[in-house]
Amino acid sequence: MNVGAEIQQAFVVCISAVFTQNILLAYFLGLCPFIGVSREIKTAFGLGLAVIFVLTATVMLNWLAYRYVLEPLGLEFFRFILFIIIIAAFVQFTEMAIERFSPFLYQKLGVFLPLITVNCAILGASLFMVIRNYSFIVTIGWGLGSGTGWFLAIMAMAGIRQRLAHERIPRGLQGPGITLIIAGLMALAFIGFTGVLQGR
Amino acid sequence: MKLLLRVVEKIRPHFEEGGKFHAFLPVYDAIEHFLFAPGTITTTAPHVRDPIDLKRFMSMVIVALLPCVATGIYFFGLRFIALIVVSYAAGLSVEALFSIVRKEPINEGFFVTGFLFPLIMPPAVPLWMVALGVAFGVVIGKELFGGTGRNLFNPALVGRCFLALAYPVQMSGSWLKPGAGVAGRLLQYVDGSNVDAVTSATPLALAKGGEYVSLSHMFVGSVSGSVGETSALAILAGGMFLLLTRVANWRTVASILISFTALAAMLHHAQPDRFGPALWHLCAGGLLFGAFFMATDPVTGPITSGGKWLYGALIGVVTVLIRNFTGYVEGVTFAILLGNIFAPILDEMVFALRLRRLKVEG
Repeated sequence: MNVGAEIQQAFVVCISAVFTQNILLAYFLGLCPFIGVSREIKTAFGLGLAVIFVLTATVMLNWLAYRYVLEPLGLEFFRFILFIIIIAAFVQFTEMAIERFSPFLYQKLGVFLPLITVNCAILGASLFMVIRNYSFIVTIGWGLGSGTGWFLAIMAMAGIRQRLAHERIPRGLQGPGITLIIAGLMALAFIGFTGVLQGR
Repeated sequence: MKLLLRVVEKIRPHFEEGGKFHAFLPVYDAIEHFLFAPGTITTTAPHVRDPIDLKRFMSMVIVALLPCVATGIYFFGLRFIALIVVSYAAGLSVEALFSIVRKEPINEGFFVTGFLFPLIMPPAVPLWMVALGVAFGVVIGKELFGGTGRNLFNPALVGRCFLALAYPVQMSGSWLKPGAGVAGRLLQYVDGSNVDAVTSATPLALAKGGEYVSLSHMFVGSVSGSVGETSALAILAGGMFLLLTRVANWRTVASILISFTALAAMLHHAQPDRFGPALWHLCAGGLLFGAFFMATDPVTGPITSGGKWLYGALIGVVTVLIRNFTGYVEGVTFAILLGNIFAPILDEMVFALRLRRLKVEG
C-alpha cells in the first residue's frame, strides 16, 4: 500500500474511532476514570487531554515494540505484559519530563497522569491495534481518534453532571448510579453513527 | 361544571391529611388541576421569562400539535386515538406511581410527552409497544433524573430510541399507506393485521433505492411515516404558532434548518445521483417535526443564545450524516439525543468565551 492511501485510511479510522467505534461509548473501556473524574469540567478537560496524548504516544510505541521485538522473537503472547510495562514507563517518563520543563502543564495534569496508567482504554487501544493489524500510519490515526473520542465523551459527561440537580435523584442512584445511566443513554444515542465510515 | 366542582370539593377530605385515601393525593390533585385552574404558581424549572406559567406553556405546545393530530387521524385513521389513549394511560400511571412515592402533586410535564410520543410512532405499531416505550422514556429519561424540568434527555425521544433499537423489526414494519380519496382514513380503524395497508417503505427508505416520492405529496402529508411527521404543512402551521408565541426559540429552529439545508444542498451538488435534493430532504421524515417540537424543548436544550446556534447546527449536520451515510433510514431521533448530550457543554463553552472576553476588556 502506498503512503497516500494509508494516510487516507488513517483519516477514516480516526474519524470512525471518534464516533462510530468510540472507545468509551461503544466498547465501554476506560469507564472508571470516566465516572470518577467527570464531576467537574476543568478536571475532565485535563484528564481528557492527558488521555489523548498518552494514548496516541503509547499505541505508536507499542506498535514498534510488537513489530520489531515481539514478532521477530515469536513472543506475541507476551504482549499484555510488555504493553503494560511500556505504558507505565511512558507515563512515568512524561510525568518527569513535564515536571522538569513545564511546571504549568504539570500542575494542570499532575494528578491525572499517574491515573492514566491504569486506564483500560489505553491498553485496550493497543490490543485492538494488534488484532486489526493496523500499519504504523493507520495506528497514529487510530490512537488520535480513540483519545479524542474519549475526550469528547468525558467532556459531555462533565457538562451534564455539572447541570444535574442532585437533590431529586433517588438516593440509591446518586453519584455513580445515575452516571452509569447517563452513560448508557449516551451510548444509545451514539448507536446512530453505526455504519458511518466503517474503517478497520 | 358547577356540579363537577361540587363533587371534587366533596371528595377532597378523603385525600387530605388523615383521610382514607391520603396516599392517592397526587392523583386527586392532578384531576382537580386538569379540570380547574389552580391558584398556585410554578416554583420549579422550566422557567420562562414571561407572564405564563408552566401549565400554559404546556398547553401552547399541545395547541400547536393539533394540526399534526388532525392530519394524522385524517391520513392514518382512528387508531391514532387509541395510541394517544394508551400513551397517556401508561405514562400517567408511571408518573402517578412516582408522585405517590415522592408525595407530591403529579406534574403537568407529562401532558406534552404523552402527546408527542404517539405522534412519533409508526401508525400501525402494536399498542403494548406504545405503553412500553412511553413508560421507559418517562422512568429512565425523566423520573430518575428528578422529574419534570430536570431531565437531560427528551423523554419521548428516549422512549422512541429504545423501541427502535429493541424492536427494530416491528418499528420498521409498522408503517401504513396513507388513505386515498377525499375521506382519507377518517372513519377507518387500521392496525397491523390489515396486510393491504401495511408497508415498510417510507419516503426516506425508498430514497435509499433511488426512488423519490413527489414533493407535493410530502408537503401535504399523504405519504407513509410516523403519525405526526408526514405533513410538512401541518407542522409548519403548528411550528409558526409556537414561534410567534415565543414558546419555541427561533434560534434553535433556524439553526437546524439552515445547517441541514446547507449540508444537504452541498452533498446533492457534489453527487446528484447519490444524494437527494435539499428541499426534498427537508420535507422528508421527521426533520421538521423534530426541529419545531423536539429540539426546542427548553429543558433539554442549551440556555444561551450562542449555545442554541451551535446545538441546532450539530443536530442539522448529524441528521444529514446519519441519513446519507449509515444503514439507518432516519437520524433525527439520534441527532436530537446527541444534541441533548452536548447541550450542557455547549453552554459552558459559550460561558467560557464570554468570561474571557470580559477579562480582555476589563
